[in-house]
Amino acid sequence: MTNPERRTLEPWQDPKAAPYVRIDHVTKKFDDVYAVDDVSLDIFQGEFFSLLGSSGCGKSTLLRMLAGLERPTTGRIYIDGADVTDLPAYSRPVNMMFQSYALFPHMTVEQNVEFGLKQDRMPRKERAERVGEMLGLLQIGELRKRKPDQLSGGQRQRAALARTLAKHPKLLLLDEPLGALDKRLRESAQFELVNLQERLGITFVTVTHDQEEAMTMSTRIAVMNAGQILQVDTPTTIYEYPEYRFVADFIGLVNLFDGRVAEIQDDRVLVETQLGRRLHMRCSHPHAIGTPVTVAIRPEKLQICQTYREDGVNQVKGVVEDIAYLGDVSIYRVRVSPELLVEMTLTNIQPRTEQALTWGQEVAMEWSPTSGVVLTE
Amino acid sequence: MVFMTKHHLHDRHLSRALNIGTPYLWLGLFFLLPFAIVLHISMAETALAQPPYTDLMSWVDDGVLQIKLNLQNFVTVFTDELYLAAFLNSLWIALVCTVLCLLIGYPMAYAIATSPERRRVILLMLIILPFWTSFLIRVYAWIGILKPNGLLNNFLMWLGLIHEPLTILHTQTAIYIGVVYSYLPFMILPLFANLTRLDFSLLEAAADLGCRPFKAFLKVTLPLSLPGIVAGSMLVFIPVVGEFVIPDLLGGPDSLMIGKMLWTEFFGNKDWPLAAALAICLLGLLVVPFVFMQRLESRMGGDEL
Ligand SMILES: Nc1ncnc2c1ncn2[C@@H]1O[C@H](COP(=O)(O)OP(=O)(O)OP(=O)(O)O)[C@@H](O)[C@H]1O
Ligand SMILES: [Mg+2]
Repeated sequence: MTNPERRTLEPWQDPKAAPYVRIDHVTKKFDDVYAVDDVSLDIFQGEFFSLLGSSGCGKSTLLRMLAGLERPTTGRIYIDGADVTDLPAYSRPVNMMFQSYALFPHMTVEQNVEFGLKQDRMPRKERAERVGEMLGLLQIGELRKRKPDQLSGGQRQRAALARTLAKHPKLLLLDEPLGALDKRLRESAQFELVNLQERLGITFVTVTHDQEEAMTMSTRIAVMNAGQILQVDTPTTIYEYPEYRFVADFIGLVNLFDGRVAEIQDDRVLVETQLGRRLHMRCSHPHAIGTPVTVAIRPEKLQICQTYREDGVNQVKGVVEDIAYLGDVSIYRVRVSPELLVEMTLTNIQPRTEQALTWGQEVAMEWSPTSGVVLTE
Repeated sequence: MVFMTKHHLHDRHLSRALNIGTPYLWLGLFFLLPFAIVLHISMAETALAQPPYTDLMSWVDDGVLQIKLNLQNFVTVFTDELYLAAFLNSLWIALVCTVLCLLIGYPMAYAIATSPERRRVILLMLIILPFWTSFLIRVYAWIGILKPNGLLNNFLMWLGLIHEPLTILHTQTAIYIGVVYSYLPFMILPLFANLTRLDFSLLEAAADLGCRPFKAFLKVTLPLSLPGIVAGSMLVFIPVVGEFVIPDLLGGPDSLMIGKMLWTEFFGNKDWPLAAALAICLLGLLVVPFVFMQRLESRMGGDEL
């Protein structure tokens, strides 16, 4: 969803660009649990930044520290160049949308939206205008007199968003903003959120554990595990060139082959794996011979091989054991050795009933040396 | 399935009737019936008899049933300044004590509700603990504390704050102390029940929107705990208006309370009809705030109590 023309000016590639948010070696300990462990991160103006990770990895804690609801145990946080580490939540130029929305149940939608403006002592007339503007923006004008418990999940989400946007924050934090919505609603809400962000030019930092959501919405994704940030990159890079086994495994489907570097040929490494043959992979990192590595290949990078040879490059043969039909694509689980299943995704060009590949059938697969990555961690 | 017979339906109707009927039966048996009896007595006259009042109905010779309703007792209640003063003083004491209980109880309930799980259980136990000894004994104990050479006076003199004992016992102040002490748990418990259900992310949201903690309390916590405040206040106010033991033991001659008046009329003067009339008026007095509470409840959505 990012504009391809902007790609040349991405701020995180520009060494001169000043980050809007700087998280500097921040650690948060709860008793003896490291919820966030020595995280450093730069987020730039206008970004739609996503924190992605499994449950309990510290995403919310990191976000809450940005909002000022949690104090870092060590480390500093800078927003727009100013050190805000010791600033309480009520004086930070940041607004947060809560996972549970946290709408005030005793106030109407209108009063909820107005609440933040009142705290700023905005004059009544201006306040009414701003509330009207926000309700219009999120198309909930006709719900203004309702209490939160009289709203549907989607409407509540809009009301919460209107409330956080009302103060025109420079930085908006969203903790699983779409978590409570069903799949269809979530997809349309994702588009709306991105449109809104591009229209208002606000920097968004969102938390999610839905990788698809992160992929479709973000300019960049930070993948977290056990309190640490493993990789920060654009969705494409994260997907195509993961740097860690965890990242490759967490996002999308992936075939992982463990092995050792056996030989190096120009820009290729040959990896001895449990497949019983060497895999040829292009690799920019120079690896020493014998290094334990993992070859990661996405299932859609596999093709049916028409000319199978025992010594063919990246060719494997096996028996179809399982087929997951998803409509547009099917995932085939192919047993290539007693302990190894390989997943291959094929687009369903033909209707399913006419497809050639069925259970128990032998199939040969191959992939290009450039379509996977070699991971060391 | 098909044979959803008359028999079944009959059973269902019966169980439904029982379900709905039981509370009504309860109400009728233990509230309306006694109320009718008291109302009946209040319109009788005193008599040297057993029980000491006249019958409302009597047969006059020609098979005529004569019903004599004596409203004199009500006239007395409303015109005698003593009773009026007692009513007003009871209301005043109940009001002051309710406010005091609220002021003391709210911070306590809040502290308990926000304390960690394990400590919360202990703190709650401490609130409920006094109920394990008799109410009467606890009020008696206050005599020992408040009397001229009691614990409190000795302690204050030992500190050098006062040089001669304060007269607290047998004054209205002693009633305030005794009532607040005795009824504080009735304020704390409903408030606690309400405050534990408070979603603290609402306060975080308020802070996030630029609201300082104290203002967030006023704008979010307080309005959301209103049902708890109302419930606690009713639980204190209503019984305190008719309170008899505390004014009798701790109060002085100046501290008139309607509960004590009732006792005197009933047992001292053996004037059951007048006592009954007083009781009816007291009930009327207490129904008013109750209806008021109901109104407030339904206006606020009312599902929170
Ligand atoms: N107030 C707290 N006290 C103690 N431990 C906490 C507290 N808040 C969070 N933790 C712990 O810190 C870790 C990270 O929690 P956090 O809420 O940041 O996870 P998360 O990534 O947001 O997970 P989820 O996706 O489930 O929301 C967890 O192990 C959690 O148990
Ligand atoms: Mg979370």
